[in-house]
Amino acid sequence: MSVRTKQPETKQVDHISFVKPHIFDVTQDVKLLWVKEVPNETVRLDLFFDAGITRGNKSLPAIVHSLLLSGTKELSSVEIHEQIDSLGGFLDTDISFETAVVSIYCLREHVRQISNIVANAIQNLAFRENEVEDVLRSMRQQFAVNQQKVKYVAQQQFRKHLFASNADYATISEESDYDEASVLAYKKYWKQHYLEGLTRITLVGDLEVDEVDALIDLFGKWAVDGKVQHAGGFKFQAQRINFPKEDTVQCALRMGRFLFPKSHPDYIDFQVLNTILGDYFGSRLMSNIREDKGYTYGIGSGMMDMNQTGYFVIVTEVGKEVLDLTLHEIKFELERLQNELVSDDELDLVKNYMLGQLLKSADGPYAMLDMYNSVDMYDLTLAFYDEAIQKIKRISPARIQELAKQYLNFEDFLIITAG
Amino acid sequence: MIAFNRFKLENGLTVLHHFDSTTPMAVINTLYDVGARDESEEKTGFAHLFEHLMFGGSVNIPDFDSPLQRAGGESNAFTSNDITNYYNVLPIQNIETALWLESDRMLSLAFTPKSLEVQRNVVIEEFKQRYLNQPYGDVWLELRPLAYHKHPYKWATIGKNIQHIEEATMDDVKAFFKAHYHPANAILCIAGNISLEETKRLVDKWYGDIPASLKPERMLPKEPVQTEYRELTIERKVPNDAFYYSFKMPERKSFEYYVTDIISDALGREKSSRLYSKLKKDLKLVTSINAYITGSLDEGLLIIDGKLSNDVTFEELDKAIWPLLEDIKKELMSEAETSKLLNKIRTVKEFQEQGLLNRAMNLSLYELLGDANGVNEENNLYQSITAEQIKTVANQLFKKENTSLLRVKSIKE
Repeated sequence: MSVRTKQPETKQVDHISFVKPHIFDVTQDVKLLWVKEVPNETVRLDLFFDAGITRGNKSLPAIVHSLLLSGTKELSSVEIHEQIDSLGGFLDTDISFETAVVSIYCLREHVRQISNIVANAIQNLAFRENEVEDVLRSMRQQFAVNQQKVKYVAQQQFRKHLFASNADYATISEESDYDEASVLAYKKYWKQHYLEGLTRITLVGDLEVDEVDALIDLFGKWAVDGKVQHAGGFKFQAQRINFPKEDTVQCALRMGRFLFPKSHPDYIDFQVLNTILGDYFGSRLMSNIREDKGYTYGIGSGMMDMNQTGYFVIVTEVGKEVLDLTLHEIKFELERLQNELVSDDELDLVKNYMLGQLLKSADGPYAMLDMYNSVDMYDLTLAFYDEAIQKIKRISPARIQELAKQYLNFEDFLIITAG
Repeated sequence: MIAFNRFKLENGLTVLHHFDSTTPMAVINTLYDVGARDESEEKTGFAHLFEHLMFGGSVNIPDFDSPLQRAGGESNAFTSNDITNYYNVLPIQNIETALWLESDRMLSLAFTPKSLEVQRNVVIEEFKQRYLNQPYGDVWLELRPLAYHKHPYKWATIGKNIQHIEEATMDDVKAFFKAHYHPANAILCIAGNISLEETKRLVDKWYGDIPASLKPERMLPKEPVQTEYRELTIERKVPNDAFYYSFKMPERKSFEYYVTDIISDALGREKSSRLYSKLKKDLKLVTSINAYITGSLDEGLLIIDGKLSNDVTFEELDKAIWPLLEDIKKELMSEAETSKLLNKIRTVKEFQEQGLLNRAMNLSLYELLGDANGVNEENNLYQSITAEQIKTVANQLFKKENTSLLRVKSIKE
């Protein structure tokens, strides 16, 4: 009979092998990162563009992004997708704050052909009238659905108010964006942000070097000229604003404040504080507001990285009747971190957890590339992770408290609620 | 190819072992052969509520998550109409912590009133967040009872309504545990850089002394063959009219299941699919349209859903959609189209095998279906599908009397 009341001995993760991808210079400012060591036939190719949602007014970046594969003079969007599908390929497109990505997933025997199809589709995008109309129709419909989601409304309003000092970052979609096509504006944006907007290429797959060179030749012509500049120095007003919505049973809450970019000396230490507060299942917010009070299905906090800065955010959806109680408990948890030292026991648990998760984030070629990319994008190196391991192991309860006092004053937060 | 070993303990626990020396992580996946279909009609939502309670402490361990996090790991679970699946991912050197935790909650739960009280509230909030507070969020609560009259697939995993969750008692919880949570009703998969011998030693150490119970016999009411066309229109404050065509399809273990999957891909998986290109792109009747299967173990559903364009009526769509379904019944699919669909399947399979957790989950599910090795045969089954088989199965699916149509009519605020 085993002793069931005592946890078996555990060992902290003490070493993680980080593998640096092969790096090719597409131009002086644009790189291709490549992880070749893949044990099967799969390939993922990502094209990054300086075309995030902050690069144009209202919905312009999102509309052009949605139109990328909508057809050339010769081929309709259905024909383009038919070609890619026939080769067993999948396309994925994603647009975030400061970047837009087009991804190809396929088997290696097809990567060249699919890349040619995608390159041709984007290069010769014709903005066919019926295709533009179809995209606008679908986006308007999606917009209407989103407006009914309290989570979406809170997210949009949070963005608008957090970035209030910068018009490009504060801009949000409006229904009228989809009323009429502005093809001239779309074309201008496409040329500037896609045909001259490629910022990097990442590749995972067991290919030959000449195949990689061919991809560089194919996409390299879109490389941006010079280093891309991003905004910083945002100002916002700490305040609480509610966006009422009838007929809802839950309220969405989003509260946050600016912090610093990933290169800041407090970044990793704050990551530990963030984990304790709200970034794992056993976090204080989850333990208190979900597991003790049952107010919500989920609550969490996170650090959002941007090129010149970063922000911290707490997100949840709670029953309408317990919104104020939830805010009260959040305030309580922030103050507890400021007024009481974290116990060694809790801190040890979080350290072990974070190191285990870091190990997992470096597991396998796909994860490794993403990990490298997420530091290289901000001009950091793999040394970031070695340093992270050391900092996580070393951090003390006093340091956690110091950071909480500096960055987690309830009064400093922008609080947006919808519902 | 996913290599694996299989062995069984005397208490009935089936164990799968998958060796992978390239990863520093381990996965411990536990599939319990119980889902919402095993609930009684008066106490729905119970399998899922129970999944939440499994994290509320076991007989010897007050809290499930903390020790696992202390070992650098993470855990989660999901409940479907068919199964409940729990998984842990942690550094391999700490694998024993996961086995300690999982085996203890298979042995017995703590059954604290506080845990029941809190998780009841959490699940109620989940119900609100996913089903009530989202536009179109409640369609599955309406569609299931339309398509199924007898089989327990007529209720959703979350339950028929919130009252069932509100009324759950500790006696219900205990009875549910006793019936479904024991070795003979579980499949354990251990994956990572660990030998078979070490796996056997550890499994024997932690699971060997869990008492055996009889695997419950499943006697679900069989859904009678549908003989009439069904439709239902509900009115909701949503932006656009939406439609959900559902067709009864063969059970998971049959070959026709795979054929039906291919048919749904042909109709509406991608932006080159039949319904998408015709109804959205050519005729502009819809703003979105998809076809997919529910993946149920018993007789499931093929669904075609989407949203109407402004000023288009349900009748116009209906007139346009049926001829497209007739096409797939009458004409043999071209070589080019079948090879397109099968190429996509090949890519998906290859990517699925990428992750350790995926491999462990798939092995467990196939073991439940009869043989874990099924995961290695799946792609060949798909690749063997012929145009004739597609036509035959399409003829069984797309009949008026096999259809249940749910319409969501948009009404203004």
